[in-house]
Amino acid sequence: MTSPDERLAALFAADLPPARDAAFQAGVLEELARRRFLNELALWTGACGVGGAVFWLLWPALAPTVMILSWSLAPGAIAAVAAGSILAITSGRILSPRS
Amino acid sequence: MAEPSRPAARLGASDEALVEAAQRGSSEAFSRLVERHQQALRAFLRRACRDWALADDLAQETFLLAWSRIDRLSPDGNVRAWLCGIGYNKCLTALRSDRRSRQRESDYQKAVSVASSPAPEDRMALERAMEDLPLEQRACVALCLAGEFSHAEAADALKLPLGTVKSHVTRGRLRLLQALGAADDQP
Repeated sequence: MTSPDERLAALFAADLPPARDAAFQAGVLEELARRRFLNELALWTGACGVGGAVFWLLWPALAPTVMILSWSLAPGAIAAVAAGSILAITSGRILSPRS
Repeated sequence: MAEPSRPAARLGASDEALVEAAQRGSSEAFSRLVERHQQALRAFLRRACRDWALADDLAQETFLLAWSRIDRLSPDGNVRAWLCGIGYNKCLTALRSDRRSRQRESDYQKAVSVASSPAPEDRMALERAMEDLPLEQRACVALCLAGEFSHAEAADALKLPLGTVKSHVTRGRLRLLQALGAADDQP
């Protein structure tokens, strides 16, 4: 003979969610990753927009200096961009970004 | 955020260690907390909301909000009560705004749960009795009678005075027992 409280407890226990639910857990983490990605995307989009706007505003003042320096700096700049790209790809930051 | 060292997210790590690791940005530690507390949170929300689909959605939202607010939790805080408190607030908001749209899914879930229950008549009586309880009382019953929370933990989670929680649990228990046709054996 079970007590009323034991009967209640048994009824409540009957509809417990599983102790481990990989699908639920994966759903939470997937949504978390999605939100992180969107936040980072918004951050970088904003930063690029601000940077572009600042550059656009300053361009009239910068243009003469850039034109003068471009011929002498171009080979070094191209080499730096190429080296940076190779480094980024080989270190896995582009092909396999961290979670 | 930098990923901290992995040992904190070990299978047997304490909540305290996992919270500290999650606060340093470890999604692995947070994943362990989700795994550890999803059952209690979902069970509580299912009983408080009376709608399994909504409860699981709210549980997911609760964990997402918990992640963004994890730095507000003291490492020695009660994670389960903290999560249930967030979930309860979400439940209150959702029940005020989303009652109708979820009714169809709720009816389906009730039909499924009743059909698969070992004691259908008792399950139905309990379902009806739980549904008739006021939300605050139902939340107290769900935590203390079904969720094995202490009265103090429930008071902490629901932000209610301890005396109110005790009163809700006593009254709710009586009403559930009456609905089940069981005599109360407590003085």
